[in-house]
Parts: sequence; structure tokens; C-alpha cells
Amino acid sequence: MPPRKNDDYMEVASDDSLPSDVDEVYNGKSKGKGKGKATERKTREKGKSKNNEQPYAWEASYVRSWDTVQEDEAGSLQGAVEDLIARNRRRRLLAPSTAIRRTIIRHLVLVLDLSSSMMDRDMRPTRFDLMLEYARSFISEWFDQNPLGQIGIVGMRSGIAERIGEMSGNPQDVLKTISERHKLEPAGDPSLQNAVEMARGSMSHLPTHSSREIIIIFGSLTTVDPGNIHDTLDACVKDRIRIAVVALAAEMKICRDLCDKTGGSFGVALNDGHFKDLLFELIPPPAQRAVSRAAGAGAGTSNPTADLMMMGFPTRLPNTSAPALCVCHSDLKSEGFLCPRCSAKLCDVPTDCDICGLMIVSSPHLARSYHHLFPVKPYSAVVDGAKVSPSNACTGCSSSFSKSSASSTITDGVSPFGRYKCPDCKNDFCTDCDVFVHDVVHCCPGCGK
Amino acid sequence: MEKQEIEPSSHLSVIIDLSPTQWHLASLQNNNELQPQSSQQVLTFRSFITQTLAFLNSHLALKHENTLAVYGALPGKSVLLYSPTVPKSETEDISADANSYLPFKVLDNAVTTRIGEELDALRDEDEEAPCDLVGALTKSLCYINKLLTSTPATLDATTPPPEPRIVIMSVSPDQSASYIPLMNSIFSAQKLKVTIDVCKVFGPDAVFLQQAAYLTGGAYIYLERRDALLQHLMMTFLPPPSIRRLLVVPTQDKVDFRAACFCHKTIVDIGFVCSVCLSSTSPSKSVQFVSQKLMAYLLQFVQFSVNLSQSVQPVGTSIFLW
Ligand SMILES: [Zn+2]
Ligand SMILES: [Zn+2]
Ligand SMILES: [Zn+2]
Ligand SMILES: [Zn+2]
Repeated sequence: MPPRKNDDYMEVASDDSLPSDVDEVYNGKSKGKGKGKATERKTREKGKSKNNEQPYAWEASYVRSWDTVQEDEAGSLQGAVEDLIARNRRRRLLAPSTAIRRTIIRHLVLVLDLSSSMMDRDMRPTRFDLMLEYARSFISEWFDQNPLGQIGIVGMRSGIAERIGEMSGNPQDVLKTISERHKLEPAGDPSLQNAVEMARGSMSHLPTHSSREIIIIFGSLTTVDPGNIHDTLDACVKDRIRIAVVALAAEMKICRDLCDKTGGSFGVALNDGHFKDLLFELIPPPAQRAVSRAAGAGAGTSNPTADLMMMGFPTRLPNTSAPALCVCHSDLKSEGFLCPRCSAKLCDVPTDCDICGLMIVSSPHLARSYHHLFPVKPYSAVVDGAKVSPSNACTGCSSSFSKSSASSTITDGVSPFGRYKCPDCKNDFCTDCDVFVHDVVHCCPGCGK
Repeated sequence: MEKQEIEPSSHLSVIIDLSPTQWHLASLQNNNELQPQSSQQVLTFRSFITQTLAFLNSHLALKHENTLAVYGALPGKSVLLYSPTVPKSETEDISADANSYLPFKVLDNAVTTRIGEELDALRDEDEEAPCDLVGALTKSLCYINKLLTSTPATLDATTPPPEPRIVIMSVSPDQSASYIPLMNSIFSAQKLKVTIDVCKVFGPDAVFLQQAAYLTGGAYIYLERRDALLQHLMMTFLPPPSIRRLLVVPTQDKVDFRAACFCHKTIVDIGFVCSVCLSSTSPSKSVQFVSQKLMAYLLQFVQFSVNLSQSVQPVGTSIFLW
């Protein structure tokens, strides 16, 4: 167990409780505070299911990863795997199938805790190493789903905030800033206020149509602030910055307040897997909040349809064209893109033109964001043998279905025949294709929707 | 580095565009209006299939572990023409023939008979419908996904997973309705590290497919001499992507990434894009409604400098030193 300081800040359950009590306190609290937001509900449910199996990471005895997967009586892992699939399916069914308004242009500042508490080994190898690893995969996945977004990185170390990476829309640039572990070596205490102020400052110039988000990965239980952090919080609310916190140690009142007041989500990671889940739930673009928008201080933005952004579509130069210097790195290169307004040569899109500030995108980048607006309808599990469609093979991968029902135990949302039916084209799909179509392709092979 | 990597086997999915209308047009006219100086042969469907089958056979012959799946995009639907996992229909008689290698014969038989069946089954009124290229593409991606996820369990760890790629033989023009699903397929191909190659056999350049090839690192070939189909296929599409790095494969110089405005269908340089798509949360409203909204709001590209259309030549103008 890590040493605990500053008990007044903590709202977490006391240590003497058994793991099951921790469950109740944890769930009860989030229930009481939950405001019915979809994301929060999801988090809670996931927390609950994990909770039932395991206590907090620091309360658990040494867990071997191969112990967490249970074999069934026959000694096969099928049951455990199916459980995982079923959980994913249920989560997808919870999500609204109709299109909802989402922010497409996102700006995010990722705040990393680099205080000495990150060297704790309750998450292996250390919290710090795990955070870096997950942050890298988070950034790649985030850019994959939000191609028009930008990420900046701020670190909290020795009581001050450090700008680790400037706002950038290029995944490689962002990843490079956190690639060197020795430059990020944890030290001292974190300062939430400094970090949030720095993040807020770097987003102050942004236009109203883009979202402003801060994600804080917080491993400490203290914060060393120069002033009143509640003033900073009020300023964030005024600027409509959404703050989400993933805490690694325990719940702190101020973190909870930061999230609740700005409309973000708050979660305490129970273990490695839950940490990743919490972080990755922040990847899909948030649904637009009409209420806070009306309440926001922005003048004249009450009509959201009026938010039109000027964008430039560049001309691509082939790599056989005569080399010229690019404006972003001053490198002599043949290939590149020309800004349609000022004809400056840029290395990569999407970006803002360094000369005239026009947002440069290519049409595939726009197209890439569409699937958030038109999700594939969830397939329904075929439970009734009579409803099995005549075809013998999966419509997606053409692998044949097994004739008999495979699993004897009927789990919620899992078809005993391994068949899942598209509500539109009435074709049957296998489990693999169901997951693949909804998570990756976003387009039904049967009906093309 | 004495341990040489075992060369991975390669999986090839071929999507053949079987639009009856377009093939009919292709057999009537040749590309003379494009290259008046060269008198060309007309590529009939029969000779197209023969040459394609020769290409497929050489893919199988290249390496014993190589696998193949053939899809057909027909008007309004897409079908799997051949794959090693699909059980053969009982009507096929696969008698050993001293003059042919059995796997070739199985493949040739399966593809030709299936194409015949599917074309016969088409009713006249269906023939005008656009080909379901997206369906064929997503199906082949599902197939590849299954292949990649199931392989490690069955083979020992030393065998690298197969290198997947897709070749599209296209004759139909772009359909703007399928742009978004097509783009979704392209992005999933990128995720699976699948290379998409495009061979445009007939018709005008397909901009969407050009983008598909560019974004996945594949080659796009417009068949200028249609009698040289087999040679193009062999030289460009036969080597797997890992080997192509050592070869000089035709690349595309001009891929147009400018967006067409949704209101006038003109290509714009600078436009306005709505930051948020307005759509309804009420389930009673159909997707159709949403997409109309999208047309109206999301991509209202106002034409600013339509006629700016810069040709690709400026050297001096693009240098900025500050
Ligand atoms: Zn540059
Ligand atoms: Zn510019
Ligand atoms: Zn399948
Ligand atoms: Zn469907």
C-alpha cells in the first residue's frame, strides 16, 4: 500500500473495509453523483463488473495474468473468451444506434502526472511506465478516430507545469514528444492548478466550434498550487473546457469537482486493465451538449448550425516535381501540399497553414470522421433456431457456421448459434465479423450502410 | 543477423467488376478516343477472364502457401467466386487431368462456372443497377480479418502471418453514393495493413479508387493498352508489397484530394465545413433524413476560388523564408 498523505482531501473508502464494501461505497457514490450521462453510466457498469472480481490493485495479492482467465470444467478457455465478447456486445447495445451530434474538430491537452508518486509499483512495472505505454497507444488511437483533432501534452513535475508537446495534429510529432522516457523522469509534487492553467492558456485562442478538452492522468493524492484552484475551475467552466481525470490512486474531491463542473468524466483505475478502459473511453468524440452551450458565455453562438469553418483543400505535389523549401520545417523536398490561399508548401495535412492560418485538410480526412455520425446498427443475436437464415456461411467472411448450438449456457446478448443478424439486410454474420464490422469497418457488408 | 526471416506467404483477394453494361460498352468501343494514334484491340470479357485466370494461377504457383479469394461485384450484390475454404459445389467434376495442375483447374472451374451462374441469374431490369463494389470490398476485408486472426493459432510461431492484399479490377465509374462506405473500407484496410491495388480496365479514371490505392500504398493502373492486360498484371500486381519496395512499380503522381462541394458538385479549393453534423436523436427519423441534413448543413462548401485551380508547377512561388 502506498503511503497516504493529506487525508482530508480524500473521499475514498477507508482501508479497513473488505473489498466488497469498497465496491458498495465506490458504486454508491458514483450513483449518487452520476447525472445520467451515458459515459458515466458505462464507466460505472464496467467498474462494477471488474469490481466483483478484484479489489483495488494495491489491495490485491500478487496476481498472475494467467490466473485471471478462468478455464471452464472442460479445461477450455472458450467460456472466458465468450464472456469478454458478450461484455463488448452489451456495451455496444447500450450506445445509441441513431446518429447523435458529436464534436468533429477536437483540441485536447493531455496532462501527465510526472510527480514522484508515479514511481509506485502498484501497477506493473511502475505507474509511470504504464502511463507512458498507454498514453502512446491512446494517442495513436485518438488520432485514428479524430483525424482533424490536435493534441498538446503538459507534464506536472516539481510543483510546476511543463509544456512537453505543443498542440499538433500530427500523430508522429506528438508521439515523439513522449518517446524519450529519461526526459520525463518523475520528480517532486504535482500542481493541478499550474497544469490546468497552462492547458487553458494553450487553448484560449481556439475558435468556438472546436472542442476544448483536458485529460489528466493523476497518480498523486496531493496538489501544490500557487493560488486558489477553484478560480481556475471557474475560468475553465467559463471557457467551456471539458476536464476528464483518470486517477490512479484514489478519488480526490477537487478532481471530482473539476470533472463534474466542466462536464467531463472521472474515474479511478482499479487495475491496469481498468486504467486502459477508462482512458480509451475518452477517445470517441463526445456528444455535443446543448445545455451547456446555451449557458456558455460565447456571444452569438447560440445557433449551432451557423458554425461554418473555412477549410482549404490542398493541391498535392508529386515527388517528381521540382524541390522547394517547406514552410513548416524549411526542408528541401519535392513532395508536399500547396496551401490554396497563399501557395505555401506544407509537408503534411491536416494542419494549419503556417503562413495564412487557413486550416488545410484533405477530403479523406473529412470522410474519416463520418462513421461517428452514422454508426452501423448493432446486429441482433440470433437466439431462436427458427430465425436462422438459410445461408450456411457468414455473409462477411464466408466461413461456415456450425450446425449445432455451440455453447450450452445462454449468455445475454450472445447467440448460441454464433450468428448475428443485421436488422437492415437480414444477413447472418459470425462473431468475428460482428466485432470487426462494428469496431473497424463501420459499414455492413450485406447492405453497405 | 544470421537468422533469415522466413518470407511470409501472401494472400490475394481479387475483386472483379462484373457489370454487364460496362462490359458491353467495353466490347463495343476501344479507347481510341483517348489515344487516337494507337489502334488497339478490343478486350472482350472472355479474353479478360482468361488473362485474369492466368494471373491468378501464377500467384498460386509463386509460393505453395499463397492463398487466394476471388469476389465478383455484380449489380446490386457481391458474391464470393472462389476461396479455398468454401466447399465446392457437387456439380463440379474435378477429374484429374494429365495436362493441368489440379489447383489451377479447381480455381478456373470455380471462377468460370460461378460467373456464368451469377450472370445467368441476373434479370434484365437489374443490370442497370450500380455494382456493389463496396460489398465485395468489405467482404474481402472480413475474410482477411478472419485469416489474420485465426492464423497464429493454427500455425507455429515461426511462420509469419500472410501478407494480405486486394486487387480491384474495375470497369464501372465512381458512384458518389458509395463514397463514405468506400472510405470506411479504405481506412479499415489501412488498419489491417492491406494494400489495395486497382487496375482500371475500362472507363474514365475512378477518383475514389485512386484514393484507395494511394492511401493504402498500392498501385493504380489505367490500362492504356488493353491487349496487354496480362503483362500489366504480372509486372505490377504479382509481387507482394514487401518485394515491391525493391522494384519500380508505377505510382500515381496526381491524386486529387480536393473535395467536391455538396451543393454544386464542383471541386473547390477553399470551402466552408460545418463543424458539427446536425442530426436527430429521435429514432423515428430515418438515416435518409439525416443524410439530407448532412447534405444541407455539414458540407456547405461555398465556392470561393473555384477557378483558382492551380496547376502543379510553381517552384519559386512556393518558397517562403521568414
Ligand atoms: Zn515541413
Ligand atoms: Zn496559407
Ligand atoms: Zn464472418
Ligand atoms: Zn446489413
